[in-house]
Amino acid sequence: MPINELLAIAMFASFIVLVFSGFPVAWLLGGLAVFYTGLAIVLEVDFDLATGIGWDYTSLTVERIWNVMENWVMVALPMFILMGLLLDRSGIARDLMNSFARLFGSLRGGLAVTVTVIGLLLAATTGIIGASVVLLTLLGLPAMLQQGYDKSLATGTVCAVGTLGILIPPSIMLVLMADRMAMSVGDLFLGAVFPGALLGGLYIFYILMVGWLQPEKAPVAPTEPLDWPAVVDLFVAILPPAFLIFSVLGSIFMGLATPTEAAGVGAAGALALALFKRQLSFAAAREVLQETTRTTSYIFAILLGATAFSLVLRGLGGDQLIERSLLGLPFQPSGIIIAILCVTFLLGFFLDWIELTLIVLPLVSPVVSNLGFDLIWFTILFAVCLQTSFLTPPVGFAIFYLKGAAPEGIKVTTIYRGVMPFIALQLIGMLIIFNWQAVVTWLPSQAYG
Amino acid sequence: MARDYLPHTALSLRIDSGLNRFGEGLSFVWFVLLAVIVCNVTLRYAFSQGRIELEELQWHLYSIGFLLGMSYAYQADAHIRVDVLHENFRHSTKAWIELYGIILLLLPFIALILVFSVRFVESSWAVAEISMSPGGLPLRWLIKAALPVGFSLLLLSALSRLLRVWYFLFLQPQVEVVDAD
Repeated sequence: MPINELLAIAMFASFIVLVFSGFPVAWLLGGLAVFYTGLAIVLEVDFDLATGIGWDYTSLTVERIWNVMENWVMVALPMFILMGLLLDRSGIARDLMNSFARLFGSLRGGLAVTVTVIGLLLAATTGIIGASVVLLTLLGLPAMLQQGYDKSLATGTVCAVGTLGILIPPSIMLVLMADRMAMSVGDLFLGAVFPGALLGGLYIFYILMVGWLQPEKAPVAPTEPLDWPAVVDLFVAILPPAFLIFSVLGSIFMGLATPTEAAGVGAAGALALALFKRQLSFAAAREVLQETTRTTSYIFAILLGATAFSLVLRGLGGDQLIERSLLGLPFQPSGIIIAILCVTFLLGFFLDWIELTLIVLPLVSPVVSNLGFDLIWFTILFAVCLQTSFLTPPVGFAIFYLKGAAPEGIKVTTIYRGVMPFIALQLIGMLIIFNWQAVVTWLPSQAYG
Repeated sequence: MARDYLPHTALSLRIDSGLNRFGEGLSFVWFVLLAVIVCNVTLRYAFSQGRIELEELQWHLYSIGFLLGMSYAYQADAHIRVDVLHENFRHSTKAWIELYGIILLLLPFIALILVFSVRFVESSWAVAEISMSPGGLPLRWLIKAALPVGFSLLLLSALSRLLRVWYFLFLQPQVEVVDAD
């Protein structure tokens, strides 16, 4: 094996090992790029081993960063983050939760269904696993526990729905994936609609089944019956945010607005809603803006670090190495896809979607497209696979976020038991998406056909 | 957050509170960006007048926001870490990781970007580069300069953190007492 490919393997391996040190991932990626460039130069100059890269090559990082800076579509990202934070901090999310709880409260498992629906609506606007799981833990978990829900069912629901949020458009993960894969954001959003609905539907079906078969796990609340004023209240609470989210998505899907415009207008709409409800103080608004800066900056810091890392990895021939070894597998094309997904699943145990989207997805996508698969389909499958991975013990991200935000007395093992059925549902969902590509590809093909 | 175990020194405290104030001020950039997008959308749909300069202004603002915000996020310890093992480490272990991480990884990365981005800005300045689009914004070197400026701030933030780690590991008496979680 040539020396540059050995370096590429060493580089990737050091990333995997060092990531456990807990040093910020962004700086780890950037630092390794510099370190391995230096090592390659030493090997070339002092040991006469041709590695093919040098400072001139690695300095291209600056050009790549400039491409990120002038990328107009990525402007949507901070605006979606701002929109999600505004809906959350202004109490609009809480109102939604309460209204839905009254609507479904008398149904067995109704409260868990509420959490699912709210999660799908709201997580759509955050697109960050940590944020949506924490949000649902604070909003939905105490209500479910208070009503006597089984702790496993309650925590499992929150974890699963919180992670599903990263898949539901307008998710910032999809914006970033579309950028890396040079796809249209609108197409990818459209592709995610049915898979997201499918998984959400499976969750709701499961919760209702539990409520029906094991009523003691999901008791109903002694709520007052719905009367007209309650229904009106409900609509007042649900309509504005629902309208906001659907108009943002609708304008992107119909090709009326670019993702950036839709995100900006969506954030402005969320701000208007919050001001209209008089629930956003100046201090809270400042806090929301500051959190937008922090979240945006850490995502982009990883993007910059990953840019340098991928550049050097590519320069060392890492992409050809991966392509050759994947295509060299003695499997059918579909088997290669499954192999990629299995590796992604394992990597998802300790890497967040940001790193995987930025580093792994671009490495494997040429292979997938060489094999003749639809890239939108594969990207969505990749996303669902990641989402499953975040749910899976022992190190699913969602589990830890939930544990961190949950009230005292929730054991990690309880959460483990709770997520198990949802992992099974995820696998069913993945099987369906894998076997019927149309679940993903039909909607995008209709939109512009 | 988790790293409050690091003591502050007079200098690091000043740097961090400066960066913190700067980041809080910088955050209003998102509000401005929001306003610019809404303006542009209104112009485009209501008056069918797309403005190139407004579109360019959008990514200018966003670049400034995330580049200059990195130091603020670092100072606030918002950057993603993989916590699986990290949260169980002793404080002194964490501090050693931080020390080596900053010296061997973060500082070289900052150096790489600073060295080459300064050249990048210089060449833009030398040819008085402007936007290629008709009606685009002038002074391209100025927005390109956000890159070295952002990384200089990050350098400041990294040095402040390094100072704190150094103090914790080598200067502070009775490390083991603090170490008891």
